[in-house]
Amino acid sequence: MIELLLEPFQYGFFVRAFVGTGLVAVIAAAVGTFVVLKRLAFLGDAISHTAFTGIAAALLLGISIYAGALVFAVLTALGVVFLTRTSRLHDDTALAILFTGVFALGVVLLSGSPGFSGDLNSLLLGSVMAIQTREIVLTASAAVILGLIMVLFYHRFVLISFDPVGAEAAGFPVAFFQSLLLTVISVAIVISIQAVGVVLVVALLITPAAAASLITQRLEALMLLSSVFGLLASFCGLYISYFVGAPPGATVVLAATVFFGLVLGVQKLRGV
Amino acid sequence: MTGGSSELALNIQNLTAGYPGNVVLRNVSWQVKKGSLAAIIGPNGGGKSTLLKTAVGLLTPIEYTVMELLGRSPKAGRKQVAYLPQQEEVDWAFPISVLDVVLQGRLVRQGIWGRYSRADYALSRDVLEFFGLGRHADTQVGSLSGGQRQRVFLARAMVQEADLILLDEPSTGLDAQAQHELADLFVTLRERGKTIVAATHDLNCLTECFDHVLALDGQVFVQGKPEEVLTEENMVRLFARHFPKVGASGEVTVHD
Repeated sequence: MIELLLEPFQYGFFVRAFVGTGLVAVIAAAVGTFVVLKRLAFLGDAISHTAFTGIAAALLLGISIYAGALVFAVLTALGVVFLTRTSRLHDDTALAILFTGVFALGVVLLSGSPGFSGDLNSLLLGSVMAIQTREIVLTASAAVILGLIMVLFYHRFVLISFDPVGAEAAGFPVAFFQSLLLTVISVAIVISIQAVGVVLVVALLITPAAAASLITQRLEALMLLSSVFGLLASFCGLYISYFVGAPPGATVVLAATVFFGLVLGVQKLRGV
Repeated sequence: MTGGSSELALNIQNLTAGYPGNVVLRNVSWQVKKGSLAAIIGPNGGGKSTLLKTAVGLLTPIEYTVMELLGRSPKAGRKQVAYLPQQEEVDWAFPISVLDVVLQGRLVRQGIWGRYSRADYALSRDVLEFFGLGRHADTQVGSLSGGQRQRVFLARAMVQEADLILLDEPSTGLDAQAQHELADLFVTLRERGKTIVAATHDLNCLTECFDHVLALDGQVFVQGKPEEVLTEENMVRLFARHFPKVGASGEVTVHD
């Protein structure tokens, strides 16, 4: 049994995938706590779809795909902050029109891009088994920075999530911290795309956090538990992927979904 | 109410306010002395919330000649101002403890940088004790009663060292007992030098504890001491068009 579990680790690509996915799963799950609590799942979806177009544009221009994805993701996030503050955006319709439109543009751009040799699937569903050491270093650096920002501004993010109106009235820079939080979410999404792809990335943000929110009402515990769920899901998902031969992005998200279902089931049984 | 603006907690002259394409308040002039307990009353849509929101900078005024908070520009005065929004504007489901809410009073003073000090924790716990919430420090704030939530927010205002506290419909959802406790608390806060301005539907305990009333009906309807404002004639005229009228043939109409 132990031998079977250790078997994949003799391959460098699996070790790299293990480290890379674990990293992004932890940070995405921690950041995702705010996404779940503020019901921003839809925004997460929008950001990941426009990030895809950023990747397509970057390939066309011959620049780093991370840079392209980052620019598009952050612009989307800041655009939404701006729109909600100026026009009281009530419905999701405008956002849905915008991000599906931008996503479609991305597909068109990609098909016309001479620099694109891979297949669409690896972008849509992730290609973590192909992750390089250089990319892991990049991901780890980003994860550390995001973690630092979350620790440093934790209480301020809580304030603007809990009572933005009272905070603004007292002159607190609410817009700045809303933009910063959404930028953190955007970067978490961009570094997670390599692991699970554009389509499933939002699951890495919300599924572990949603499962954790069924268990605890304390925010610090919620973020910690969410990260643990994210980590477990990524490890289980990678094993399944290795032994079954399914795309790892899909098996990781599937594992997270199963965890969520188990937590939900146990809670129901206990009558909580 | 005349005198140097340094004696005024709130000084508004010729304010026209509202939302884009919808003027709610016209030509409002109002002064509140430091250390008073002022109420804003009036029918729905009369502009109570609009006046409060404009005063604290949540709404951009359309027109005004003077706008001062605690004798300073709104921007400079805001750190000493606490605004308690209507209940539905706060995310009560958010997993945050009572103590953490009260501590937020320090964040507002710090701005972008700064951490909680030992003194901040000590102050917050003291204030919680003072408000009778000491044993609820670790409770999730949303699980408290309406009256307790108001007290948590007032405690936060104390920790913020706010001198002017504005409340939008603080008595909504409170039972009679809790409403009286809140009124008592207002008086206590005034004794500590705070100025309280509350927009309220509740006309019951106005005369007991408030010393100034502004009645709004899209403009200043009347203002002054409670006994001057709250006459039967004034109240009938202020709220009359909101009462249902029964016509000669029995039909009921409501103007609003």
